[in-house]
Amino acid sequence: MRYGRVAPWLFVLPTIVGLALFRIGPIVAAFLVSFTRWNVISSPQWQGLANYRELMSSEIFWRVLKNTVVFSVTYVPGVMVCGLFLAILVNTKLKGITFFRGLYYLPVITSTVAIGVVWSWILSPRFGALPRILNNLGVMNVPSFLGDSRYALLTLVVVYIWKMSGYHMILFLAGLQNIPEVYYEAAKIDGATPWQLLRHVTLPLLSTTTFFIMIIALIQSLQTFDLTFAMTEGGPNNASATLSFFTYVNAFVHFRMGYAASMAFVLFLIVGSITLANFWARKYWVSTLD
Amino acid sequence: MRVARKALLYLLLCLVGLSTVFPFLWMVSTSFKTMNEVFSIRPNFIPRNLFTDKMWDNYQTILVKHNFLRYVQNSLFVATTAAFGQLVACSLSGFAFARMKFAGKEILFGMLLATLMIPVEVTIIPEYLIMLKLGWYNTFLPLIVPSMLVGSFGTFLFRSFFENIPTTLEDAAFIDGVNSWQMFYKIFLPNAKPAIASLFIIAFMNNWNDLLRPVIYLDSEHLWTATMGLMQFKGNYGTQWHLLLTGSVISVIPLIAVYIAMQRYFVEGMLGSGMKG
Amino acid sequence: MKRVSLMILVVLLVATLAAVAGAQETITLRYFMWDPIFADMERALIDEFEAQNPHIKVEMTAMDPSSYWPRISAMATAGELPDVFNMSTGYFEQWAQDGLLLNIQELVNRDLNIEDYFVEVFSENRYPDKQTGDMYAIPYAWVTPVLFYNKDMFDEAGLSYPSDDWTWDDFLEAAKKLTIQSDPRLPAERYGFFWYGRYAHVEPWVYANSGRILNEEKTRIQFDERAREALQFLSDLTNVHKVSPPYKEIVGISQDDLFPLRQVAMWVDGSWNIENIRQKADPDFRFGIARVPKGPSAIPGDDTTYFWPDAIAISATTQHKEAAWELVKFLIGENRPIESYMAGKVPIHKGLAHSEEWLQAGKDPDNMQLILEQGEGTGRTTFTLGWSEWRGYAATGSSGMNGELDKVSNGEQSVDEAIKAITEYGNSVLTRYYPEE
Repeated sequence: MRYGRVAPWLFVLPTIVGLALFRIGPIVAAFLVSFTRWNVISSPQWQGLANYRELMSSEIFWRVLKNTVVFSVTYVPGVMVCGLFLAILVNTKLKGITFFRGLYYLPVITSTVAIGVVWSWILSPRFGALPRILNNLGVMNVPSFLGDSRYALLTLVVVYIWKMSGYHMILFLAGLQNIPEVYYEAAKIDGATPWQLLRHVTLPLLSTTTFFIMIIALIQSLQTFDLTFAMTEGGPNNASATLSFFTYVNAFVHFRMGYAASMAFVLFLIVGSITLANFWARKYWVSTLD
Repeated sequence: MRVARKALLYLLLCLVGLSTVFPFLWMVSTSFKTMNEVFSIRPNFIPRNLFTDKMWDNYQTILVKHNFLRYVQNSLFVATTAAFGQLVACSLSGFAFARMKFAGKEILFGMLLATLMIPVEVTIIPEYLIMLKLGWYNTFLPLIVPSMLVGSFGTFLFRSFFENIPTTLEDAAFIDGVNSWQMFYKIFLPNAKPAIASLFIIAFMNNWNDLLRPVIYLDSEHLWTATMGLMQFKGNYGTQWHLLLTGSVISVIPLIAVYIAMQRYFVEGMLGSGMKG
Repeated sequence: MKRVSLMILVVLLVATLAAVAGAQETITLRYFMWDPIFADMERALIDEFEAQNPHIKVEMTAMDPSSYWPRISAMATAGELPDVFNMSTGYFEQWAQDGLLLNIQELVNRDLNIEDYFVEVFSENRYPDKQTGDMYAIPYAWVTPVLFYNKDMFDEAGLSYPSDDWTWDDFLEAAKKLTIQSDPRLPAERYGFFWYGRYAHVEPWVYANSGRILNEEKTRIQFDERAREALQFLSDLTNVHKVSPPYKEIVGISQDDLFPLRQVAMWVDGSWNIENIRQKADPDFRFGIARVPKGPSAIPGDDTTYFWPDAIAISATTQHKEAAWELVKFLIGENRPIESYMAGKVPIHKGLAHSEEWLQAGKDPDNMQLILEQGEGTGRTTFTLGWSEWRGYAATGSSGMNGELDKVSNGEQSVDEAIKAITEYGNSVLTRYYPEE
């Protein structure tokens, strides 16, 4: 209790006030809404567990849930590896490194619409640059990366990773810069190779950051759908629709707010338990500098 | 040997850079095209009007006729205040979560994270009703205040960062007799520059890109944000691509500026590095 | 004499009082519209309206459709709806059912000369019944699907342009001649035609064959044999005759780019695409429009196609019913400048539609009258409650009937399998909205 009893509460006061005023209320309301039929424009009607029952029996929901799992399982490791790679690449004092850091950040801020158009153009079987290159290499019958239900989701994952790696690069970079140089010097005196440095110094000392990024990437993978909108609209035939996209569509296209809310809470249950499990597992692989 | 390694590293940097830059270049190039030129079977990267007196036509349309600078100003105000607010609130609470002990700490943290996991689409209407009650409708407050106070992401970021600062530093400071506030302000915060920089970049960007909240809360056109301004080029039956992408270029400039401005904190805070050229 | 002057005095006094009262009571109307691209023209129109009605002030807000609907729905739930706002056919039923729209039937009866308008199109804004119900919104414009064809490609292939008596066989023969494919392993250089699961691509063929997708009451999915025949014809175009690309080949390209960029020779979609084609195609691009060919099972007189009206509604809770109606009348009337309509979008007011400015004789297509003729026929649509769910449209274009038909186009399932899937899923949706059969 080195900081006393009062100080901690003063430090978290703004957060608690914000949480109580603006977050808890709407979330509780949304939870209640999940037990109603509500098209937003008229009053909600209580209907018990009907939304949840519909979810469980909806074939589309299960397909979309499966897509979501595939998406997260591929996106999270992918974006972490790429983000870390970029961060290590630019964590040097080379001349002009700021320029490259900027370059790698561009996909994060380039408008989603532009990204959608350009990537669709690259991948398009009709006009696309990639199929044409493959044709010239002798590969005929190039699959439709966005139009074939077998590939559409994974293609989207690749584009999402491409877009978001720069974002995680920044976070990893902040973590990398928090590692005191003495550790590297000590290891170098022992004759460590760059790979050993990475394996035995960087990664262990980066673990709090890695853990943070893993949780954030996981949550992100379950929330983003802007590129899906721009590129496949969840198609073909829901093959690339994820839960976040499906929630949006139900909330603001079909105006089935109750159903959308029930989906959000099922998703919350899943993400929440995974996150909890991760926090529990944290002590086995995350170490701080102590 | 060193030179060769350096050259190789630059080559790698350039190759990766190439793959990240092309949609951005297309966006910039399209901003100089006419509506008709945007659509062709083989997209030309060099706009026809480049370096002619018509080159800036789209920019002129957007800035003069559509008053886009007004929207950018609004977004700048919203994103900057929200991001600064987040820095304050998140660094404070992140410090508490990382270094202090208090009852219900993990439950509170769990609740914070939980708010990240509920999509805004299902909470926005109840939130809207609260804002109406508060009389905050058609003001920037709904865009700024909640985001300023509850930064789950930022709190988590600072928590991870502060957890990794050696206890020896803390112990030494306590022996010197600092109080809680001094510990935070004088000892921890100065060591957190990379975290501050990355949170500012990301918080600014998130607030800048928010579309649903401005759409729901802002009525008067003079309050509209840049993202709302961009939607002005999307109609019921088609999109004015050349203007949309010109607007996108303009609204990306502040994001780049913030990123570049924050860069020096990464360099300054650099204590060591894994790879040396 | 004295009495007369007294009367004059009284009249003058009353008139002055009325004028003062009128001047004081300036009414402010809020108007939400959903097409920012046309916001400038709309604003000019409103300036004109305000000049003519000095006691009414209009505050207009224009938002794109994907922002518009969340926004006005939020306003509805807070009881803050604007007085006047745009209403789409897809959401009309729901809004009318929930009592948010003002019944304007009496006002229409009182003030409008029905002869001046394309009255058949009004039916889409009637509730609860499309033929006998009252009007809860009123269209300002409408569109109808047509067959677009590229004249140069027809000339090159030595084909005569599509005519009213074209059969599906004629269409198929032309499509075959217009398709160019040199390497069977690669996508064709040019297709004679193209379609996928989009409503504007499919329903016109179904109706051209007198087919039905819904039951009579429009409460359940029920494909009849004629509808099946139309779907089979479309499927064969892609899977048997290869004159139309599979969906997976055109994904990622905006579907309305293919025709203007000369990737296909023919295309069926809404008439508003005339504007789109003119904007995207080269200046020397020559094209025409024709009726969607009648199917082999078409019942004479029952080959109508659908209308897609864009409407304006008045809020049921408006404080200024009469002023709002004045505005609506103005917005649907003949004062509206033709430039505020995209080429191919038809003004609801016949005088405007038949004007030379709208027909634009000098430009392709040179037979815009065709669209107006179609507007005189009976309209038919598949709109129901929950339409966006079971039909699949725009952001949900990959699901529902749209998604299932895309699978047909991809050769992944047969028409019968698609019909079965659409019926099953569609009825699970419709049962929620119409529990009683």
